[in-house]
Amino acid sequence: MSEQFEPEIVAFVCTYCTYAGADLAGTSRLKYAPNVRIIRLPCTGRISPMFILKALQKGADGVLISGCHPGDCHFTHGNYHARRRWMVFRALLNFIGIPPERIKYSWISAAEGLKFADLINSITEDIRKLGPFEQYDKLIAETEAQASL
Amino acid sequence: MSKIGVFICHCGENIAAKVDCTRVAEVLGDHPGVGASVEYKYFCSDPGQESVKRAIRENNLTGVVVAACSPRMHEATFRKACAEAGLNPYMCEIANIREQCSWVHNDGEQATDKAIDIIRSMVEKVKRNNMLQPIEVPVTRRALVIGGGIAGIQAALDIANAGQEVVLVEREPSLGGHMAQLSETFPTLDCSQCIMTPRMVEASQHPKIRLLTYAEVEHVDGYIGNFKVKVRMKARYVNKDTCTGCGECITKCPQKKLSSEFDCGIGKRTAIYTPFAQAVPNKPVIDKDNCTYFKNGKCKVCVKSCPLDCIDFEMQDEFIDLEIGAIVVATGFQVQNNAVYGEYGYGKYADVINGLQFERLASASGPTSGKILRPSDGKEPENIVFIQCAGSRDPSKGVKYCSKICCMYTAKHAMLYAHKVHGGKSNIFYMDIRAAGKGYDEFTRRAIEEDEAGYVRGRVSKVWQENGKLMVRGADTLLGRPVEVAADMVVLATAMVPQPDAKDFAKVVGIGYDEYGFFNEAHLKLRPVESSTAGIYLAGACQSPKDIPDSVAQASASASKVLALFSKEKLEREPVIAVNNEATCAGCWGCVLACPYNAIEKKDILDRSGKVIKRVASVNPGLCQGCGTCVTFCRSNSIDLAGFTEKQIFAEVMGL
Amino acid sequence: MSIEQQYRTRAKELLSSGEVKMVIGYSKGSTPDRRRPAFISTPEDVETLVLDGACIANLSGYLVTEGLLSDEKRVAVFLRPEGIRAINILAAEFQLNAAQVEILGFNTEGNEPTALSGSKVDDFAELIGTLKGIIPDTAGEELYKKLEAMSPQERFDFWQSEFSKCIKCYACRQACPMCYCRRCIVDNNQPQWVNTSSHTLGNFEWNIVRAFHLSGRCVECGNCDRACPVNIPLRLINRKMAGEVLEAFDHFAGSSQTQEPVMASFKKDDTETFIL
Repeated sequence: MSEQFEPEIVAFVCTYCTYAGADLAGTSRLKYAPNVRIIRLPCTGRISPMFILKALQKGADGVLISGCHPGDCHFTHGNYHARRRWMVFRALLNFIGIPPERIKYSWISAAEGLKFADLINSITEDIRKLGPFEQYDKLIAETEAQASL
Repeated sequence: MSKIGVFICHCGENIAAKVDCTRVAEVLGDHPGVGASVEYKYFCSDPGQESVKRAIRENNLTGVVVAACSPRMHEATFRKACAEAGLNPYMCEIANIREQCSWVHNDGEQATDKAIDIIRSMVEKVKRNNMLQPIEVPVTRRALVIGGGIAGIQAALDIANAGQEVVLVEREPSLGGHMAQLSETFPTLDCSQCIMTPRMVEASQHPKIRLLTYAEVEHVDGYIGNFKVKVRMKARYVNKDTCTGCGECITKCPQKKLSSEFDCGIGKRTAIYTPFAQAVPNKPVIDKDNCTYFKNGKCKVCVKSCPLDCIDFEMQDEFIDLEIGAIVVATGFQVQNNAVYGEYGYGKYADVINGLQFERLASASGPTSGKILRPSDGKEPENIVFIQCAGSRDPSKGVKYCSKICCMYTAKHAMLYAHKVHGGKSNIFYMDIRAAGKGYDEFTRRAIEEDEAGYVRGRVSKVWQENGKLMVRGADTLLGRPVEVAADMVVLATAMVPQPDAKDFAKVVGIGYDEYGFFNEAHLKLRPVESSTAGIYLAGACQSPKDIPDSVAQASASASKVLALFSKEKLEREPVIAVNNEATCAGCWGCVLACPYNAIEKKDILDRSGKVIKRVASVNPGLCQGCGTCVTFCRSNSIDLAGFTEKQIFAEVMGL
Repeated sequence: MSIEQQYRTRAKELLSSGEVKMVIGYSKGSTPDRRRPAFISTPEDVETLVLDGACIANLSGYLVTEGLLSDEKRVAVFLRPEGIRAINILAAEFQLNAAQVEILGFNTEGNEPTALSGSKVDDFAELIGTLKGIIPDTAGEELYKKLEAMSPQERFDFWQSEFSKCIKCYACRQACPMCYCRRCIVDNNQPQWVNTSSHTLGNFEWNIVRAFHLSGRCVECGNCDRACPVNIPLRLINRKMAGEVLEAFDHFAGSSQTQEPVMASFKKDDTETFIL
């Protein structure tokens, strides 16, 4: 292979912690892989499992879900609800055959710019090693017509 | 058809050095639904904002995406600019291509590609934005202060002195709380009642304060600015409107041996009583459980003695409904029951008392008129042992936390004892002396150096009675040897704990509490006086152990929060709240359970005859904080979050 | 007296006395080994009721038929233990008032039905307690174990071949007592979260969403499995989810009518080993 595979990663993050952490990575001028696209939500509690499926349909090779550490949620409990959903959804995807290595979860606070940058780098590397999600890509190709907006 | 304006900011060189803004503008210009796509050096500058406004007007833009720094920087700036140009501010979104793109990537081409993705995704979102209106919540300008101790009185006075109405509810027959029980106060040793009672009188006579004593909050409904509160007025069996407080009934009451709550059991009271002489209001109540008439149906001595016919045995509890805009919770604390410390002999030996009981002994208005006398035989003790941390900092039997006030009041007790009983000897067993506070360390030094308080660093293991003395065995850990002291009296510096019914009360009011029952603040550091429920504030020791200055400070802080809320007729809030589609809602009410703010209510939809035809969830816009956890739970996709709707996020993902 | 006769007599009493307005049970089906639901509202008709080893469908879903219980009258229903658990869930999710449900409980050991004692849902609490963690019907157990042992890639291939058969008829949804929503998420086209055309990607999405929505709510009655016209082993996915919530949150769906829905609640110390 002459050119290395560049995975596409979609990140769904809460605005109060991880989004602010990503901003801090920027203001600290930390450098990380350009493969991630961030979607900002008010809280991890708002992150629906459907978002993950749509990101995959859009061709994402990996997905990151991230929010406030337990106990730090701006909305007090949103991340606790989210954690339960992820636990269950993760097992479901695994059983269906969507490898858990492609869907990552993290807690990143507004102060953890470095953790954010490091995580994006390591996730990009991990998913690069996994290669494209060919099985899903085939399904996407089968649908031909793009999903309507 | 959407006409979205895309404004790509160079941010000087901050963005433009990495992102090829011209290429970005070209690509986005060709994107369907984009009506204008322009770049500029600094869109946040005055001319930059003017150019955005001009573009909105000239192109009749239906939405705006500013590709620039983080929305946390300038979202408000550009939304305001949009509003000034006649566009609904919520039709403006920020695409973050600085903090999350140009600043974090080295490769210009990759950064440019990423910037295009970010902006395109945001354009797709804005196409589906709704013209939201800020939520206006009317504010009832009347505050409810729950608790008539020093914190509650301070909060009520501050609010009332600013011209707003206050309802002050106290469950005991009189205002005063624990502060009224104290003798002198540290670090100045001024008499507690001398500084407290004028405040009590001021609160009771203030034209803006409606005082409800012997009353309890039964039920709280509603939300910030619009609480509906039900208060139970407990039957006093004395008509307080006609009673003049002459006290004839109290003098005549044959039941004289009841244990006085105010005097912590070391004084006595009658069945018809006021808790203490300076009570406000100074009008008695009848203790139904101990009144001879209520028990035997015979007596009525008080009825005969009353010159104004104020006694009414038929009186019932009454309920008052209040409309309230903001609530200050100042329900105070209790002292831990020391009976758990069997080794200290509390409850077994009459002369082992707690700190609050010592306050009553030392108080000029107390049962001994301020003389330090042993409860057992009324003799003046020649030697007192004080045991600090009797409950505090003891995870095994007491509580894990430090009660904060005991080091200070024990030093004060030792001083008062030295002043009142010349030649009296005090020994204080302590773990640490925590005297942080203005004038506090100086105060404890004074106790040691001038009043010869004998501090012994170590714990007490046992107290027992021998030859009319209380033998106290402990360890002096500094000298590394056991100590035995023969004392006439032992005073335990008991832990401060929440009111026994604090957790139930928290549920009634709708606020959070910690493992002990202290009420939770919204943020320990940055929002220490707000509860997690909007419009409900905390003051005093109901939140955590506090001394008088801290309680007063927090009460004034709460009052300022209330006054800020009352400064406008309407409260304006971001319209990012959940909205439920009642037509498709299945009424499973999982969202009701999941909501961290109790903002979702169960609602019955009735037909004309009043029959329930459907049961659904209903979001209270006053309480909803917009986290969206309900949306994710909703299986039928009925509930949605304004500003982050399912449609918007779907489009953002599919627009990547 | 056979249990069939015993329950016919009981049904007759309930209807004659007016204690219930309807009995939902089983009657003869189109073939000797199939049973169809019977909705009996007159005492004379109880003779058509059948109770034997072929009575396996979970009838609890009929109770949430719109308007059936809105007159506050009571209805009797034949239920196996899974069906009784389903009543608990429906009550916990405020879809019915359990006091309106008279349970004619039975189990089938081998081919013979046996009666379960009790008539109100709470009468069966002890029985349900003993069932915690036990798979009600081990059909497909071998395949389940095989799937568990596979790599994700192999599982993907397996489900791809299964889901490629799906025709999006939504019979699984129709048959499930827990799918009571007036509008299903797939029926929402603004936005269209799930591709409705029956290509395999859309089928994946539909079956993932279905299983997610049933997590912590499925009683493994097998109605979906039996309803599927193309024989996708749907219950295996639900079994996986039931095992997951039991292991992670100690949640056994339908334990009581006051049980908190597992996906709408949380504990601060919930497991989180997978979060970076």
